Amino acid sequence: MIEQLAPEIVNGIVLGAFFAIIAIGLSLIMNLTGTINLAHGSFMTLAGYLAFTLMSRGTNFWFALAASAICTAVIGLVVERLLISPLYKRVPLYSLLLTFGLSLVFEEVFRLIWGPSTVPFSAPAELSGATQIGDIVLPTYRLFIMAALVVVMIALLLFLYRTRIGLRLRGAVQDAEMLAALGTNTQLLYMTNFGLGILLAAIAGVLAAGLLGLGPTMGNDLLMPAFITVVIGGMGSLAGSIVGGLMVGLAISITTLYLPAASEVVMYILMAIVLLIRPRGLFGEEGIFG
Amino acid sequence: MTKFAHVIGVSVMGVLLVTLPAILPAVGLNISLGTTVILFALAASSVNVLLGYTGLMAFGNAAFFGVGAYGSALFIADVNANLIVGLLVGAGCATLAATLIAPFLIRRRGIYFSLLTIAFGQVFYFIAYRWSNVTGGEDGFSMTKPPLLGGSTPVLNGASYYYFCLAIFAVLLYSLWRIMRSPFGLTLKCIAQNEARVRYLGINSDRFIFVALIFSGFVAGVGGALYSVSIAFSYPLLMDWHQSGDFVMMVILGGVGTIWGPVLGAAIYAIAQNVLSSYTPAWQIIIGGMFIFFVLVFPKGLLGLGSTRRRREPEIDTEDPDVAIAPAYEAALLEGRQP
Repeated sequence: MIEQLAPEIVNGIVLGAFFAIIAIGLSLIMNLTGTINLAHGSFMTLAGYLAFTLMSRGTNFWFALAASAICTAVIGLVVERLLISPLYKRVPLYSLLLTFGLSLVFEEVFRLIWGPSTVPFSAPAELSGATQIGDIVLPTYRLFIMAALVVVMIALLLFLYRTRIGLRLRGAVQDAEMLAALGTNTQLLYMTNFGLGILLAAIAGVLAAGLLGLGPTMGNDLLMPAFITVVIGGMGSLAGSIVGGLMVGLAISITTLYLPAASEVVMYILMAIVLLIRPRGLFGEEGIFG
Repeated sequence: MTKFAHVIGVSVMGVLLVTLPAILPAVGLNISLGTTVILFALAASSVNVLLGYTGLMAFGNAAFFGVGAYGSALFIADVNANLIVGLLVGAGCATLAATLIAPFLIRRRGIYFSLLTIAFGQVFYFIAYRWSNVTGGEDGFSMTKPPLLGGSTPVLNGASYYYFCLAIFAVLLYSLWRIMRSPFGLTLKCIAQNEARVRYLGINSDRFIFVALIFSGFVAGVGGALYSVSIAFSYPLLMDWHQSGDFVMMVILGGVGTIWGPVLGAAIYAIAQNVLSSYTPAWQIIIGGMFIFFVLVFPKGLLGLGSTRRRREPEIDTEDPDVAIAPAYEAALLEGRQP
């Protein structure tokens, strides 16, 4: 029983950590600017493909991970400045639709450059194979992903709570107008925030490519569970995204074991139950992150 | 727009739609494209009920469209090959789907509402995708076109099916126009402008949004039910959030909050898709680029181009309950409250 269940639980936690990281990125962007970033998944896929291209040119995994994440974040910044920032003054519908159009363009560009089917993206040799913990054998790459995502989350927490920019970001969510009046360049803040969200997506994208296979729709497939994570955890809550992500991940992986056909529907049932009990989500509050 | 201009507009659109089966073959396009335009226009109009009139960022109407499509397709293939009954069953399924998720959606507004419509819309996609022994899963579900009333009654094809859809479309669009001018419709417009004020006047806006959602689901369901018959096929991607996004974009392309905007937008979208996809497999880049362009440059859509200076309706969008909605609206609102 436990031998059967343990790998699924680890799977669930790994998936959940992905959903949490993606959800935090979405949530950061959503809370500060009201933009629901439908191109979030495309940025993940983009990072995966960039890393794939770098690795096929002979660079090692670590360099590819860092370089592609930074490149993707820079592309994200350019997109934010050129396309999304002119829409901040309008109702959020327009930025939602803009990112939707963007995701259509991205997906087709991926197909043109890297082909319509999945490309072979393998984890580095030192991370392949399996690790034995007690009686349970687990794939090393999954353990690595878990560790990496925990490190990323801690780094994000430190950034948001221990730096001046983090402080301003949290302040801007509550009252951007006041912050601007006090002399903060809020446009710069919006930009930083968007770049941060995309950076998280990019890291998750490269890590996910080695786990789930890299195709043009990889990121978009992860986007929907991330949306549900945001709803379950409550918009604007960091803890909510983590708890929500783990709940969704575990629910999916355990259902996959017992009733594979229901593995996607289960997260909607979970969401419906949470919404019935707490319409604003488990940790939902008016402000963001505190 | 003056009443005269309105009459001219309606007549032009009407003549265009009635003569479309003659125009399309003349320019080398298929009549079925006309049917697609009409049915997409129904779906876009259903989005418009929520987005244009009630001010709710609905991003999940493809779910209702798809449930209507599968409802009629499954009924026609498995139970009774009868177009009229199949259509009613499809529309009924979509209405039921809307009724099931509406209680969750009406609790939130703004981007949270969008998020919920995206998420709840997608559940039907996964059901169609996974429940493959009934729905055919990823491969979709094919059927044969049913006779109009079952038995040996005629099967509608090509132009006759187009006119059948056009008749239903005309009835629904006219009802939509009437409903949006009724006290109920005016209340929806008031909710879009200042929901807090509406609540202060003693009206439970949640109930109005509930009914608007169900109405929207019904209209989209009719469109979907007719669509699966027209292509004799239904597939899960009909319910995907990309499809929902396309429907929302049709509303924006034409002009949000207008009766003819979604129709125009659907025509632009369907024709662009049809023409572009015959030239290049990468047509999505151009469609996506067109969306981005319109969002940035023409957010009011094509019909909004002329009316940017002269606004027909007061544009109030506030959460301050002390700001009055336009007096004419408020009078109608209070009238609508009376039994």
